[in-house]
Amino acid sequence: MSWAPQTRQTPVGKWLRNPVATGYTGMALGVFAAFLGIPPFTSRTATWSLIVGIIAIMCGIATVTRGRKRLGLGAIATGIGGIGLGYLATRSSVDNLNIVFNASLIAQTFAFATPLVFAAIGGMFSERSGVVNIGLEGMMLMGAFWGVWGADVGGSWVVGLLVGMAIGAVLALVYAVFAIHLRADQIVGGTAVNFLALGITGYFFFQLYHGNYVSQGVSTIPNIKLPWISGLHFLGPAIGNLNLMIWVSFMLVIASYIVVFKTPIGLRIRACGEHPRAADTVGINVYAVRYGAVVLSGVLAAAGGVYLSDGFGGGTFNDNMTAGRGFIALAAMIFGNWRPAGAFAAALLFGFSSAIALRLQVYSPSASTLFNVLPYVLTLIAVAGVIGRTVAPAADGKPYRKQ
Amino acid sequence: MADELVLEMRGIRKEFPGTVANDDVDLDVRRGEVHALLGENGAGKSTLMNILYGLYRADAGEILLNGRRVEFASARDAIGAGIGMVHQHFMLIPVMTVAENIVLGVEPRKGFLLDERTAEKRVRELSERFSLAVDPTALVSDITVGQEQRVEILKALYRGADILILDEPTAVLTPQEAHELFEIIRSLQADGKSIIFISHKLKEVLEIADRITVLRRGKKIETVQRAGATEASLARAMVGREVLLRVEKAPAQPGDVLLSVEDLHVHDERGIEKVRGVSFDVRAGEIVGIAGVDGNGQTELIDAITGLMKSEAGAVKVAGRELREASARKMLDAGVGHIPEDRQRRGLVLEFSIAENIALHDYSKPPDSKWGWLFPARLVERAGRIIREFDVRGGGPLSAAGGLSGGNQQKVVVAREIARDPKVLIAAQPTRGLDVGAIEYLHRRIVSERDEGRAILLISLELEEIMSLSDRILVLYEGEIVGEHTPDVSEQEIGLEMLGGRERPAA
Amino acid sequence: MSADPTVPPEAPEEAAETGTLAARLALKQRAGGLVVPILTALLAFVLGGVVVLATGHNPLLAYRDIFNGAGLNWIFHPTTNIASTDAYNLSQTLLQTTTLILCGLAVAFAFRCGMFNIGGQGQYLVGLYVANWLGYEFAGMRPLPHILLAVGGATLAGAAWAGIAGFLKATVGAHEVISTIMLNWIAIWGGIWLFGDGGPLQNVANKSVPISNDVAASAQLPVFWGVQGLQGLDVGFFVALAALVVFALILNRTTLGFEVRAVGFNPEAAAYGGISVKKNLIRAMAISGAFAGLAGALDMLGYLYHFGTSDIPASSVGFLGIAVALLGRNTAIGTGIGALVFGALLYGTTHGLSSNVIDPSLAGNLTYMIQGLVVLFVGADVLILYIWNARRKLRPKSKSKTHPVGASA
Repeated sequence: MSWAPQTRQTPVGKWLRNPVATGYTGMALGVFAAFLGIPPFTSRTATWSLIVGIIAIMCGIATVTRGRKRLGLGAIATGIGGIGLGYLATRSSVDNLNIVFNASLIAQTFAFATPLVFAAIGGMFSERSGVVNIGLEGMMLMGAFWGVWGADVGGSWVVGLLVGMAIGAVLALVYAVFAIHLRADQIVGGTAVNFLALGITGYFFFQLYHGNYVSQGVSTIPNIKLPWISGLHFLGPAIGNLNLMIWVSFMLVIASYIVVFKTPIGLRIRACGEHPRAADTVGINVYAVRYGAVVLSGVLAAAGGVYLSDGFGGGTFNDNMTAGRGFIALAAMIFGNWRPAGAFAAALLFGFSSAIALRLQVYSPSASTLFNVLPYVLTLIAVAGVIGRTVAPAADGKPYRKQ
Repeated sequence: MADELVLEMRGIRKEFPGTVANDDVDLDVRRGEVHALLGENGAGKSTLMNILYGLYRADAGEILLNGRRVEFASARDAIGAGIGMVHQHFMLIPVMTVAENIVLGVEPRKGFLLDERTAEKRVRELSERFSLAVDPTALVSDITVGQEQRVEILKALYRGADILILDEPTAVLTPQEAHELFEIIRSLQADGKSIIFISHKLKEVLEIADRITVLRRGKKIETVQRAGATEASLARAMVGREVLLRVEKAPAQPGDVLLSVEDLHVHDERGIEKVRGVSFDVRAGEIVGIAGVDGNGQTELIDAITGLMKSEAGAVKVAGRELREASARKMLDAGVGHIPEDRQRRGLVLEFSIAENIALHDYSKPPDSKWGWLFPARLVERAGRIIREFDVRGGGPLSAAGGLSGGNQQKVVVAREIARDPKVLIAAQPTRGLDVGAIEYLHRRIVSERDEGRAILLISLELEEIMSLSDRILVLYEGEIVGEHTPDVSEQEIGLEMLGGRERPAA
Repeated sequence: MSADPTVPPEAPEEAAETGTLAARLALKQRAGGLVVPILTALLAFVLGGVVVLATGHNPLLAYRDIFNGAGLNWIFHPTTNIASTDAYNLSQTLLQTTTLILCGLAVAFAFRCGMFNIGGQGQYLVGLYVANWLGYEFAGMRPLPHILLAVGGATLAGAAWAGIAGFLKATVGAHEVISTIMLNWIAIWGGIWLFGDGGPLQNVANKSVPISNDVAASAQLPVFWGVQGLQGLDVGFFVALAALVVFALILNRTTLGFEVRAVGFNPEAAAYGGISVKKNLIRAMAISGAFAGLAGALDMLGYLYHFGTSDIPASSVGFLGIAVALLGRNTAIGTGIGALVFGALLYGTTHGLSSNVIDPSLAGNLTYMIQGLVVLFVGADVLILYIWNARRKLRPKSKSKTHPVGASA
């Protein structure tokens, strides 16, 4: 590392020399190119998409020549895709675009993203401590059912939320015993959790509610009306009337970032996930940390489930309600590189594609499917290491044996 | 303060199944002294230190710290009592910063937050005080091995260590880094810290230690002052004068060159050059032994010759055919047999039956198989023959290899390699962890295979084994051949070369 | 979920230690090979029964009715007459067993190469789609070649789908669990697109229904027990039984199986033996997928004939294959028995059941619960072996066989 002053080092020059910066800028521009064709920009010629896309590709080339090959190729691919999508958008009618792409799309994106955010952050805690959790789907499903049951029986959504989270914790604890103490294969254990949750929720849904929608008038998680915003032109429909849990999810992202990266607890969790032996030799109780993290992941995934049934779903439940959202959350966590902000961004992206898919269903079922499948395709590409490289904690998934 | 005892270990005994690792060992350490613990691999140095650090419990004996008797149930207790240990394999987390690694577990806090600034400040202060230059904000993955070691030392000092155990600290360092480490040790010494320096390198022990305790086969041989000790006297104490296992053998009748290695360069997975231009020949009917201390490039050399690892440059010829970029399969087919250094991890599929393990190389050829169709009965029949011939006990052809004793497992490996009738046989630590009977058998076998006309390359960390079996001896030090000898050379001479005690011949 | 398979995670001495432990465990499992899965299943059924009891139903009656509903009581008065309720129920159970055998083998084969194929469901679906397409598109061919074409195409499609995961693992080290999960969902949405409104494989007759075309008669598998076209038991059952034999033969009697097992037990030793680890990862995954794809083909050509978008997410036989394989200890015979157990549960809990003992909807979910418990306990060998050993310790020692004879070399 050289601290010698460099001559004529302008910010732009510095940025150009940094392949990571140019790579990510290229990718952002590529995405932007696709958006130029749709509201609020609604460019009617493909020229703008073309120009922005070409800049993105140039950034990508610059990145490749600076040695970050994968990142650069990612930027080039995004640029080409952006031009293509932007061009397609210019060929659709403005009316249709206005129905699909409007301010309430933002609200819907948040609504779809929130269960993913909760579960993804939960999964992040578990995996940061070194325990793979593919049982997120099951923990979420348990939260969804028992949350709405709690709200029904307890007469309040607060009770529902607490019951849901508690049941999520119990299921996570069972998993933790198998994964940590019994050193069972964590993938097998997580799969078991998913099956168990499917059976238990289905069984009790029928036993308690005969498989019908939970009784009408269940206390649901309220929306937060922001009176000084809801009247505004764009912001009103976008964020003026969001569910409480959506705001909680925003705070969760910030809080989990602080916990993981700025507190002693977070340092210890990460140490257990990276090098448990090293953590052990300085006196950290690896088992305790891992139990805590896995149970927390169950609580958070279940909270996402409660939102799904008692918030987003308006107090209803149906069989296998999560329908793979736990796996999308897992994907979001991986796509977000095991970081809170990354997981949040990925959850938003995946929530956005779900929201678009829902809106497009009327116009083009094929395009709708394309957006539904996007999270999985993107994650597959991400784990294949085509764009950048996802790096799991070093000891993720490896049972630890004390000496 | 020079004579104040900070640590006494008395009559320490520790048994593991089958071996006595420490037998009535005494050790005392004074304040501000560098005390070297010298001995060969397996002499019991690490066991003794693991007892002191609370990782093992002694079967007998006591530990006195500043005159008071202590009992450590875990490393945490030892750390609390002011003992720090720098393991040979560092316990650092690569994705975290130096400061984070050092404060882990005893973090400074600001409210509920981690006080990174204070952590960095304290680390900086500590590193300046002991001249352990290291950047607290750097990621561990970005610093050199030498710096990693400093971080480990700082980690111990941060926890208030008064006694610092350094386990083979120079094993991973370059000579320059080792020199810097000695400077650090001297500054720690000046501060009143006591250092236990584990090593098997005579030269550096004589350079840094105040007193030297020599261990051999779990027993304490002597504790001497540095003044008056010489490399020769220490080597004698270390290696001993016991009668060695002698192998009856006729003089070698070397024939054609069957294995020829020319200017081979190999990098390990971290990209560090571990083999630096090694060249030698092995002829039919001779045993060439490669002596050397662990980690001087032996593993990489074998893996490159057998096609398990890619070499950067150079050539390997088997019976005159060049086979440098060859795969493991091609090497096997070219007639190279390989007894690997870790039979359980690499030499055997423990869950496989003995018959399947014997077929591990040749399952895809007749008579084992034809057109992809395996004939298990033939595998079993051949295995039965080999089991009888090599006297493998503890199971039949269908028993799992994992159920055999170590010696019988090794017999299966050796039998498989020899039964393939290889031109070249590479034996890496063939007797590691075996009892005397098994060692004797293997030694006789290796000699008889030589007499069959095979070219045998023997790599061992046991100097005795090299001396008693080899017809020619090469000494490998830091990836280079630093000496070539006939077997009548003295142990001391070879020992010195192994320990880097002689200047390398000019290239 | 380390992305790099080449980095040895543990210190050598530790790895050696776990190596011998794994070996010892394998030996113990060999000794108690039947006991562990039986104990596992028993524990799962008992816990499932506890839930049934707690919710006010009689578990013994429930299990008896499930047993009868699955047609297993047929063995007490066997008949080939399909008009008999027992015989009909049994034929339906065997139809489920057919699928589960193949989905179980899909998981088991990858397991034997050290990989966890969670993607059986996706590979099964891809097989379904391709069988449907080939079965419809090439109508007019003669039956035998048409069936062979459709079955072969679907099997290859399953192999290719799983091969993606194997390829990614071998080349860039992407963990097969993540990639197969993603491939499952891509297959699910792919099918919804194919059969959905305006999709390329949507039926030509009614464009408002998101359902596929019917497989042509020439591609339908002959039924040998029951009525063709009314979910009779088709010859696919024998194909599945043959697949069990093929699975065992490949693993134990071919060089390919030798390589797969060597890589599965110890990749490092396999490489030392001259075996290409990467090649085997890809190949084992593809063979796994071929089994699942074959399952899809037999279902489509045997009794489904068409598939709708709403059927796709409801299908879960590929996932059930995980429990089947794990319960069967990834062996051919075990997988066959496991498939029968779960096939009986699957049919016995949903169709043949009278609702005055336990409602089929409850019992159907009981299947999932038992499935979950089986997988949970199978994953924890240590627990089951502990229980097993504790039981053995209670007995006076009979014969000590754990110590190798003649330990001195």
